[in-house]
Amino acid sequence: MEGDQDTSDFTLVTRKPCFGLPTACPNCLPAYIYLKLAQLPFQLAFNSTFPDSEELPYFESGTYVAYNNEDGGVIEKLEKDGIVNLDSQLQSLPDYLSLKALIVSWLDEALTYEIWVGTEGASASKIYYSDLPWVIGKVLFYKQTYLTKKRLGLTKENAEQREKLIYKRASEAYEALSTRLGEQKFLFEDRPSSLDAFFLSHMLFTIQVLPETSVLRHKLLEQSNLVRYAERLKSEFLEESSSSPSPPLHSFPSSFPGKGSKTKSKPKAEKSEEEKKFKKRARFFLAAQFLAVVIYVSVMGGVSSDEVEYEDDD
Amino acid sequence: MANPTENPPNREPKYELDIDEGELEEAEDEDDTASNPRTESLFRRMRSAPVPVRVHDVIVKGNEKTKDHIIEAEVEAVIREANTLQELLEASRVANSNLRALDIFDSVNITLDSGPPELPGTTNVAKSSSVEASLKYKNIFGYGDIWDGSMVYGLDSSAEVGLGMYLPRFKALPTPFSSRLYLSTQDWLKFSSYEERSLGLSLGLLSSKYHELVYTVAWRSLIDPSRLASESIRRQLGHSLLSALKYTFKYDQRDSYLRPTSGYAFSSTSQVGGLAPDSRSLRFFKQEIDLRCAVPLGFYAAALNFGVSGGVTFPWGSGYKNRASSVPERFFLGGNSSPVCSLSGPSALWGFSTRGLGPNEARRRGDVERDFVGGDAAVTAFADLSFDLPVRWLRERGVHGHVFACAGNTAKLTENEFRNFSGPKFLETFRTSVGAGIVLPVSLFRMEINYCHIVKKQEHDRAKSGFFLTFSA
Repeated sequence: MEGDQDTSDFTLVTRKPCFGLPTACPNCLPAYIYLKLAQLPFQLAFNSTFPDSEELPYFESGTYVAYNNEDGGVIEKLEKDGIVNLDSQLQSLPDYLSLKALIVSWLDEALTYEIWVGTEGASASKIYYSDLPWVIGKVLFYKQTYLTKKRLGLTKENAEQREKLIYKRASEAYEALSTRLGEQKFLFEDRPSSLDAFFLSHMLFTIQVLPETSVLRHKLLEQSNLVRYAERLKSEFLEESSSSPSPPLHSFPSSFPGKGSKTKSKPKAEKSEEEKKFKKRARFFLAAQFLAVVIYVSVMGGVSSDEVEYEDDD
Repeated sequence: MANPTENPPNREPKYELDIDEGELEEAEDEDDTASNPRTESLFRRMRSAPVPVRVHDVIVKGNEKTKDHIIEAEVEAVIREANTLQELLEASRVANSNLRALDIFDSVNITLDSGPPELPGTTNVAKSSSVEASLKYKNIFGYGDIWDGSMVYGLDSSAEVGLGMYLPRFKALPTPFSSRLYLSTQDWLKFSSYEERSLGLSLGLLSSKYHELVYTVAWRSLIDPSRLASESIRRQLGHSLLSALKYTFKYDQRDSYLRPTSGYAFSSTSQVGGLAPDSRSLRFFKQEIDLRCAVPLGFYAAALNFGVSGGVTFPWGSGYKNRASSVPERFFLGGNSSPVCSLSGPSALWGFSTRGLGPNEARRRGDVERDFVGGDAAVTAFADLSFDLPVRWLRERGVHGHVFACAGNTAKLTENEFRNFSGPKFLETFRTSVGAGIVLPVSLFRMEINYCHIVKKQEHDRAKSGFFLTFSA
């Protein structure tokens, strides 16, 4: 197009949505959540033909572009360039750096392992390669699997020990974060920060994308206060335009059980308890809607003779 | 080899025709001398009247690698039709030429010998072959195959490593079959902020004087290591599968490629992409047309060349109206080549830099240059008057002068821009340039030193009046 494009529109370019997430890529989701936590209005655009790009996600506004492979990441670049900064005055806190290290190293490593090795890439195909021709997708998938194993230092001899270490560290990280969080709304000072973005992204991905047989997912669901934290933030910031409540995270159906992955017994007791909670909330919400309609109709000068029925899920 | 009615059915002496280097020479047999009366008698008969002869057998000897049927295919048809000695000699010359055209033999010798006593008036023909190795490997599998490995590095920062194979006969295909496996990179960072990398296989399915059909399947990646690309280029970065069939019809009856003075040429290239069961491969349609005409003017060997080229590309498949075309398939005008010679669609325009005009966008903040993103439709036209120079020394070397004028434009049609397209506006924004210069034909290519004056250009076009050097091959 001829002519300069200098608009104030913000656009975040990520990989495509999937599994009920606005973007299913674990590298892109933190940036999305960060902008939502900062309540910065932006548009979403997708690139689904470049799964091995290190530049995604990138943020653009007119001719300004913040790539993910510059200045430590797109979030850091946005903070540095003054576009949006949730971490002002937090960087000096002693816990901040240690928690950040925990999330972006141990948890990130665990998630990477689980996606490409633990679940044998069952969900990776849908996230990264579904819009690419089959041959190209397959080659890139095998290439990425190989590179990931190399990055994680996995060999045939040490595979089992490395896996145990990765899961152990993930467990310890979850416990530490669970202790740190308690029943707070955010990780730091009751205000959102980039750590909330990174951690929430990790949680949403682990719960909604990884199959139910995933070891990492199972370990995460053991920390109930973390699950509540994720549900709360998701419903408040990620679904603010939606009027229906989101289902509890851990009961979100996963459609890609890993092939040949280790089977674990389902936490049935926890599931039924969450289901009851969901039904209770659904009933409260519908009742509130009904009440609102009745009040409106009566205030506007007519009592409605229609009966509004709703079915009990039980 | 004598008329059976004239001579008794005895074995005639052997006559060997040495036809090296494509020349037909009636060389003497080793055992015969020039004064051999039989030889003289035969030549006298050949000069006076046709000498009837019947080809009894074609014997192929000396080919250790090459399959018999490859050789026979080039020879049998012509040799067997010969009914007289004169026709046989001519047929032998053609057969020799055919065999040499395969380019796999060290030497070709055709020996005409008389047939067995029981079949008078017959002759046998013998040939030989050998294999030679170089960067071009010939006849490895005995099918007349020619293999070549190449590494090309272009002045335009393009590089290609390729392995090609050529087969003169491949199953039922009427024309030679060629294939090329290649890995290429093309650097367009300076002009459009992207690099194109391709790993592909190209198959030449049909190749004749006027027609060419090529199928290409390639894995193509567009990357931007500079991280300066404009928005629409950024959106195009990534991988794609190209599976396309290209048909070219070319008819060129101009008297010369480097300095045409009479005749005309027409070329049409049609390309369809997306020929794969996978709907995610690149789907596009592209059509290019070239028309050239050269009219001699009768003084100072002057000639008027004029031509027009046009092209259009469009994606197909669901949502094609809203989809952007793929950048490498678009038309980019400008560059250091002459439109007089090339028959490759709208591209060359004197005075404008490579990819120097057309739709363009601002790059990432921090870079004042702009990306030229190409157009979906393009038209170029030119008129060129060439003439000999008054200096004889230059004339003898083919150096001549020319004055020219050219015009061109390109526009975007995809992503619903075709709704805003209007012919008058397209004509209004045509770029034009005029100029004059000297043309130096240098063996296989044409070099021009021109002064161009830009008559009309649009904002951001990379063009300026001045001296330019162009090369055309």
